Order: sequence, then C-alpha cells, then structure tokens
Amino acid sequence: MNKFKKYINNVNISRFRFWFQIFAFIIMVYGGFLSIDIGENLPTFSCPYIDKGGGTCFLMGLQHRFTLPIDQLISFRGLAVLTSVLFFVSWFIFFNKAWCGYICPLGTLQDWFTKLRQKIGIRYSNYSEAKFKKLKKIKYILLGLLILIPIFMANSIPFIGKLSHDWAVPFCMICPGRTVLPLFQGDASQLVIDYGSKTKMIFTVLGMAITGMFFAGAFFKKRFFCFFCPMSALQFIFKKLGFLRLIKDGTKCTKCGDCYRACDMGIREIADDIESKDIIKDDCMMCFKCVAACPEEKCLKVNFLGKTIYEATEEGFYKRQKGKK
Amino acid sequence: MKYFAGIDIGSTSIKIVITDEAEKIIAHSVNATGANFHKNSMAAFNSLLDKENIKRDDIVYIASTGYGRKLLKEADETISEITANAVGARKTVTGGKVKTVINIGGQDLKGISLDEDGNCGNFVMNDKCAAGTGRFLEMVARTLETEVGNLSNLHFSLKGVPAVINSTCTVFAESEIISLLANGHSHEGIVVGVHYSIAKRIARLIKRIGVEDIIFFDGGPAMNKGLVEAVENELMRELFIPEIPQITTAYGAALIAKEAYEEEAVHA
Amino acid sequence: MEKERFEKVRKHVRSEAALEAGDVLNKIKDNFPDNPEGMNYFYDLLSRQFSEGILPKNGKKVIGTMCVQVPDELILAVDAIPIRVCSGSFPYDNAGAEFMPAKTCSMIKAIMGLFSVENYQKKFDMLVIPTTCDQKKKTTEMLTDMGYETYSLSLPSRKDNDNSRHYWQNSVKEFAADLMKKTGKKITTSNIKKAIDLKNNARYEFRRFFNLRKKSPSVIYGKDAFLVANAYFVDEVESWTSALKNLNDELEKRVNKNFSIVNQKTPRFLFTGSPPIFPNMKIPLLVEEAGGLIAVDEVCSSSRLLYDMPAYDEGALYDMIPAIADCYLKPCTCPCFVPNEERKDKLANLIDLFNIDGVIYQSFSGCQLYEMEQKLIGNFLMEKGIPMLYIESDYSKEDTGQLSTRIEAFIESIKIKKKSDLKGKRATK
Ligand code: SF4
Ligand code: SF4
Ligand code: SF4
Ligand code: SF4
Repeated sequence: MNKFKKYINNVNISRFRFWFQIFAFIIMVYGGFLSIDIGENLPTFSCPYIDKGGGTCFLMGLQHRFTLPIDQLISFRGLAVLTSVLFFVSWFIFFNKAWCGYICPLGTLQDWFTKLRQKIGIRYSNYSEAKFKKLKKIKYILLGLLILIPIFMANSIPFIGKLSHDWAVPFCMICPGRTVLPLFQGDASQLVIDYGSKTKMIFTVLGMAITGMFFAGAFFKKRFFCFFCPMSALQFIFKKLGFLRLIKDGTKCTKCGDCYRACDMGIREIADDIESKDIIKDDCMMCFKCVAACPEEKCLKVNFLGKTIYEATEEGFYKRQKGKK
Repeated sequence: MKYFAGIDIGSTSIKIVITDEAEKIIAHSVNATGANFHKNSMAAFNSLLDKENIKRDDIVYIASTGYGRKLLKEADETISEITANAVGARKTVTGGKVKTVINIGGQDLKGISLDEDGNCGNFVMNDKCAAGTGRFLEMVARTLETEVGNLSNLHFSLKGVPAVINSTCTVFAESEIISLLANGHSHEGIVVGVHYSIAKRIARLIKRIGVEDIIFFDGGPAMNKGLVEAVENELMRELFIPEIPQITTAYGAALIAKEAYEEEAVHA
Repeated sequence: MEKERFEKVRKHVRSEAALEAGDVLNKIKDNFPDNPEGMNYFYDLLSRQFSEGILPKNGKKVIGTMCVQVPDELILAVDAIPIRVCSGSFPYDNAGAEFMPAKTCSMIKAIMGLFSVENYQKKFDMLVIPTTCDQKKKTTEMLTDMGYETYSLSLPSRKDNDNSRHYWQNSVKEFAADLMKKTGKKITTSNIKKAIDLKNNARYEFRRFFNLRKKSPSVIYGKDAFLVANAYFVDEVESWTSALKNLNDELEKRVNKNFSIVNQKTPRFLFTGSPPIFPNMKIPLLVEEAGGLIAVDEVCSSSRLLYDMPAYDEGALYDMIPAIADCYLKPCTCPCFVPNEERKDKLANLIDLFNIDGVIYQSFSGCQLYEMEQKLIGNFLMEKGIPMLYIESDYSKEDTGQLSTRIEAFIESIKIKKKSDLKGKRATK
C-alpha cells in the first residue's frame, strides 16, 4: 500500500493530465460518434452546438429555463429549474472544479495553445496583482447577466419593456464554446454574423470578436478565457459540496511560491495563504499542478471524501524537477 | 547520619554549606578564594568538618558550583551558580514565592526570574566587565581608605547632598572619585553616589527579565544596608535579604546534592 | 619595506588562523564520542581550507559570494566555481578590526580582514554581495576600493508583494547577463538545467540529512551538522554531494539499528540567529559540551543554505531564471527582510518537527538586525511557552567562562523542566 502511495505521489501529474484531457476531449467533442451521451446539465462546456457531442452544457439549459415569468418561476414550474440545478450539482460534486482542470474541452484547448507557445519559446504573460483582482469579478457579472437577461425576456422591465427574442441564450451567443468547438467536427457554421436583427448582429459580432480574443489570449496567457468564465463562478458557489478537495497545511508552508509559479491561473493565495485549510479559490481549476510543484512533505494535498489520494512529497518533487526536459 | 555539602567557589570567596536530611543548614563557612582555589577549597572544607565534628564519610554527596566548580574533582556533581542560587533562594524564603533573584558576586551581577514552580525561567548577567560588582565596592572602599564593611555606616551618616558618579567602569569610576574628593565632596556623599550608581545598573539589568515580588537579594554586597536601600529605591520595591547573604548559592548546591543523591539511590 | 611588513602580517595571521582552525577541529573531534566515519571527509576538507587556502586549482573562474541569496546555479551554469567567503575566523576578525569601526559585526570584520590580509584581487574574478544588511552593503564598496571586482546584487527589503518579486527577478537577470559578460560563456537552457539539477542533488541529500536529524534521541551532533553545511561554502558541489550521501547512508544505518549518540533525557535545542561559521563554533560547542544537543538550526550558514528548492514550470530561460530567483527570495528568513513573519512560522514548524525543548539565539555583537529581531522572536516563543537563551557574542574567546555558566544554567533549567514534565505525564497516567 505504501509503495503504491509513493508511486502515485511521484507521478508526473502533467503527463497524466495531458492524456486524460485528450480522452475527455474525445468524449465531449466526438462522443456522439461513439454513441456516448453523458447527459444534460454538465458542469462543463460540453457544448450542444457540437452536432454529435458527448453531453450538454448546463449553461444552455439554465438560460432557457429562466425565460419564465416570475409567477411561474416561483410556482411548480420553477421546480424544473431546481431539478436541473440538482443534476448539475450531482455531476459537479464528484470532481468539484476538476471538471475544469481535466474535462472541459475549452479548457483543454487553451492548454494546447500554451503547449504550442512553449514549443515556439515565447514568454507567457501574467496579470499584475491589482489587475487580477479587478478582472476576476467579470465572471460574476457574466453569470448575473446570463440569468437576468432571460428573466427580462419573460418579465418586463420598467420603461424598456420585455427584451425581444433576439436576446435568447445571450451567453451562448458570445461563448467561444459555440464558435470554436464545432470546428473540431469540421463545422464552421457558427462562425457567421447574423444580420437578422440589430441585437442578433451585435451579439454575433461580439461572439466573433471574443472568439478572436480567445485564440490570441490563450496563446499568451495561460487559461486566458477561464478567468472570465461564468461556469467557473457558478461552480464556486457549490465548492463546499465537492468530494474532491485541495487541502493545505499552512504550518508546513515556507511561502516559497513554487506552487504559485506552477499555477496556470496565477492564484497567489495558494502560496501566500497559510491560514485556510480548504484552499480552493474561485479561479482554481483543480489541475493540482501546485501539489506537484510543492517541495514540502504533505503541505498540499488532494483529498477525496476526506481520504488523501495525492500529496506533495520531497521525493516526488525532486523526481519531477529532475525529469523535466 | 547523612549530610550533604554545597561548595560555591566564587572569584573572591569560597562558601561552604552542609545540610542534613531535613535540608537544614548545620554548618557553613566563608573563606577567601586565594590563588590556588582547589587547595583552599579543600582546606576550608576539611577545617569546617573538623570544627563541627562531622566525619568525612557522613558527607554522602558534594555538589560544587561557582566559577571554579569544574576543577573540584571531589565533587559528585557540578551545577551552575544560577541554578544553585535559584534553588537556594526558593528554599530560604518560607512565607511566599520568590519570583526574582538579584545576586551581586565578586565579579558579576546576576538577575534570575523564577517561574511558578520555582524553576529558573530567565536570567541576565552583566557583560564582560566588573562594573557594579563586589570588586567595584572594594575599589571604592580602597580609594576612600576605609573598609567595605564601613560603607553602610558612611551611607547612613550623610548630611547634605550625595555626589553623582557617572562611570560604572571600575577604572574610570576610580578617577572620578579621586577628582570628587579633590573638589571637596564628602566621603559620605560619594558612598551614597556609588550605591545609587550600582543600584541604577542593577535596575537596568534586572528590568530586562521583568521584576516581580518577592525579590530576593543576596551575595556579599547585600550585607551593605546602604546599597540595599539604594536598590530598593531604584526598583521602588522591597527586597528580601537572607540572614547570611553570601551562602544562598552554596545552600542551593547542597540541596541539589541531596536531590541527586536520592535520585541515584532510587536508580541503584 | 611596507611590502615586507605586509608579508609578515600575512604570514602571522595565516598561521594564527590555521592554529585556531586546528584547535577547534580537535575539540570537535576529540571531545565527543561516536563521530561518524562519514564526517572525516568534512573534517579534512575544513582543515585543508586553513592550511592550504580556499581556492580551487583547476583553472576555472572563481566567483566569491556572501549571504545565502546569491543564486549559485547561475555561476555553475557558466562553468565557474562559487565560493562563499563569509568568514568565521578570529585572527582575520582581528586583522579587520584594525581599520573597521569598533561596533562592526565580527563576520564583516573577518571578511574585511581576510581580503585585506590576503591578496585575493587576482584570484577572485568577482565578489558578489547581495544588498542584505547595511554592513554587507558598505563592505561591497570598501572591497571595490581595495581593488576587488565586486558586484552588488540588489535585494529588495520586502518579499511579500509582486513588486519586490519582480524587482528581484530583474536583479537576478541582470546578474546573469553580467556573469555571461565576465566569463564569456552563455547561459543556455541546457547548462542552466544542468546547474539546477546539480544543486538540487545537493539539496536533496541535504534534506535527507535534515530528516535524519529528526530522530530523537539523535544520531548526530549539531556541531557536525554545522560543519557539513560549512563545507559547502568552499567545496565543489558534486564531491560535497557524494560525501554527504555517504554520511547519510551511515546515519541511516544508525537509525535502523536504533543507535544514538545521546539519551532520551538530553535536551534538544534549536539554534537560530547569527550564523556559526567554522572555526567560530564557540556557542554550539559550549552547548553540546555542557550536555545539550543542537537538534536543528535556522541559520544562513546551515539549514537556510540548501533547504529551499526552485520549481520551474516551463523549461525555458524566461521561466527558469525567475524560478531560481523566487527560491532565493520568497522563503528566505533573513532578518534583513521586513516583515519577516516567515521566520516565526519556520521556527514554530522546526520546534514541532524536531521535538525541541529550547531555543538558543545567537547575535553577533554589532549585528543590529539579529539583535533587534531577537525581541520579536523572543516574544513569539514566550507565547508558545518555549524557553529561549539569548546570547550576544563575537569571535573572541574572552567571554567563554561567562557564557558557559549561562548556557549550563539554561540547560539545567530545561532538564528540570523536562523532568517535571515527565513526572506530570506519569502522574496523569
Ligand atoms: S473555467 Fe475554463 S475549464 Fe472551466 S468551464 Fe470555463 S472554460 Fe471550461
Ligand atoms: S455556447 Fe457555451 S454556454 Fe452555450 S452551450 Fe455551448 S458551451 Fe455552453
Ligand atoms: S491552485 Fe493549484 S489546482 Fe488550482 S489552478 Fe492553481 S495550480 Fe491548479
Ligand atoms: S509550494 Fe508548498 S511550501 Fe511553497 S508556497 Fe506553495 S504550498 Fe507553500
């Protein structure tokens, strides 16, 4: 048992993750061809705009469900919203935010861009501390809007009235999942500007612009889009329920910052916070690169239902650093 | 009968205390250290035994302490004077807990703070020089052409204002006193000035470890009532002065000897 | 004439220094039982350092360093030899005292004495001195004035924010560029990777050593542990690493056989403060001769030296050099940083890991940083109920008698405390 534990702790997590992500990507993007359908309400960008994807993104359904008049929303029809959230949570609960680190096809795609940049040998860029604090709020604003806009489609706002139908699934309209992921099935049909109405046009142009930014951003900044992702914000609300946990023992931490260096999301607290035990922050994608980069015995840990499945060790650290190309 | 001996070999005098099993002092002596302090300690020890009619074999355990402690091969145990002093002081005072010990030796100045259990918690010592120690008082007495034992009398017969002594360094203080004398200051005024300058130094040192009642003040200079008054005024607290201020440390060593003896007996 | 006098002084100081080193080494070897075989390498190395000098004879460029913050991976990468020149020698301290202000710390005086007495101008291609304390800073200028090629490595006073991190990363980058210019060698991904691995191997063995010291009762004395780390100052990394590996294997056997050099009752100390550098082993020796054991230390000449390891994420210079830089700044507990809460955390962690009964805090007289931080650390330890002995001292031996009394009293008080703790435990059982 001890040997097995040691083996796991010595694992090169980046390599494991690389293959796991490819596997998950295939299921999410090509699942339909293999007659796999994981289901609806997934806490990840398994986008239904992909013709034969392997599951459905929760955000799409969420935006639809909120297009109900308020009185219905609080009546029994609201139950539909509730059950869908329940489904979402039960999916989420197993992997917690590791959905982002290991499964989300859009996340994986960004990691591939990072790999490409590294191959070419171009430096990455980072946000300063102040910028980081400002920008990280955007995802909550997006989350708010993607719920409020559908509500205002069914309920009138004073002076403006109801929003037209062109406002449907507003986040999907600007989500790079819709434009980019279908490309992997050779489907570029989402990459068009819809001149049907002014609103539609603005949305699709915005969507195209964001797609462009998605590519350019992901190239220079690790996980550029994830930083703004409303799914990430939504997940964070439920993080306390997750079975999978990232745990830190602050008494063992030297604040060396090795973990922060490894963190693609640039989360400073992972190194500097020695108080919190449950160290998952809203931007974290639970990739566990930090655990692999920490040189202090048992300082960072991955727990599943309270049991440690992976932890920082001196030996693991040493082996991984030595094995670096 | 079983007896225990504590021998405190200091820089100026050798103090010996012999206790019985009830931890009562049954004999004690204070002798000059001299040049060969190993020989002198043993001589003092033997003559004390003779005087008190104690058989050497009845002394079952000897603990040595003080600067010369390690060179006394006859000792069964050596203990630092700080620990011995703390132990002795704690036992000497019966009506309460000693929290602070101030000790002035021939060449040093010590402050010890005791914790709740009476163990030595923290302590300070003067650095390298003899400022404010027994040696300093001797220099003063010599310069004023009197005896150390007379300083207290001079202190209390002062009429008028005391002199101010700025230097605590023995050498500089000496020349300062000489020039004070030349300027017509009275002996009494100078002695009071000296006592206060020592007291100030003690207060500064002792405050580093915190002062708490009961304050135990021992060592030869504690016999000097003038100095005691000065220290009490500087600390603004009362001091506890033991009956024979020189032998507390030796007494502590004897107590430790007893403890060590009993412990060995348990293990044997 | 002047030259002749100078020669005479040099000869005199050198022989005094060799005498002192030999004397201390004998004490270290002869006054203690059960020295591990594996220590012989280190004893020999340090004795040679004083009889033959510290300079390697293989024609490589030599870069002298001070303090722990100089990233020697960079020096190794350009195929030069880093030598830490912080000195613990009293004769050199004396030599330095001739022209240094009286209240200068002994280490600085010894360094200045060393470089004024020895004509090292041609022997060291560069002396790299981080801007840690004020005395080190001015040392740089004084050495320049004496004709040495110096490099002042700009270290920020804070380490807890992005600005200082980037400032330091840039400092290190500039230093790398300067090194390349000086040596005519380029730093590449492959040679820096090699240098990192080389030093990480050393660090790995050092951590093994560190972990072996956790065993209680201990398998090795603190005086030996200090020497091991001190030897790293002047040794070549590879040979040092393999010598330590041997020692570790031997100690591992001791652990497995349940062999220890002291017993259960021996008080275990944590040593912190100004760095003991061979041959200035005054305080550690006094502690261990009086029956204490220095189980672990938190000083820049030992545990701080090789503990922290850098982690780079991308194998490219733009990531590797900042990663090295970070590792010398962020976890460093040098009192030149403010705030330095990490030092308290570190001490607390060591006290836990090593089963510590008390802390010995040494300040060199004249080192304001350690002297002042003593108060903060003292308060912190008091709150935790860990006794601390504060000792202010220098390289001279004058105060040995006084110090031994204080140290013995401290050890006695801890023994008494340990005994009553044990009794208490027995009573509750
Ligand atoms: S945060 Fe990133 S990985 Fe997570 S759902 Fe959003 S895009 Fe995917
Ligand atoms: S467009 Fe984006 S939000 Fe909408 S369903 Fe696809 S992945 Fe989800
Ligand atoms: S904090 Fe750790 S698990 Fe979370 S994103 Fe950063 S490296 Fe990954
Ligand atoms: S890598 Fe580990 S020790 Fe270093 S800052 Fe992160 S958690 Fe702390």
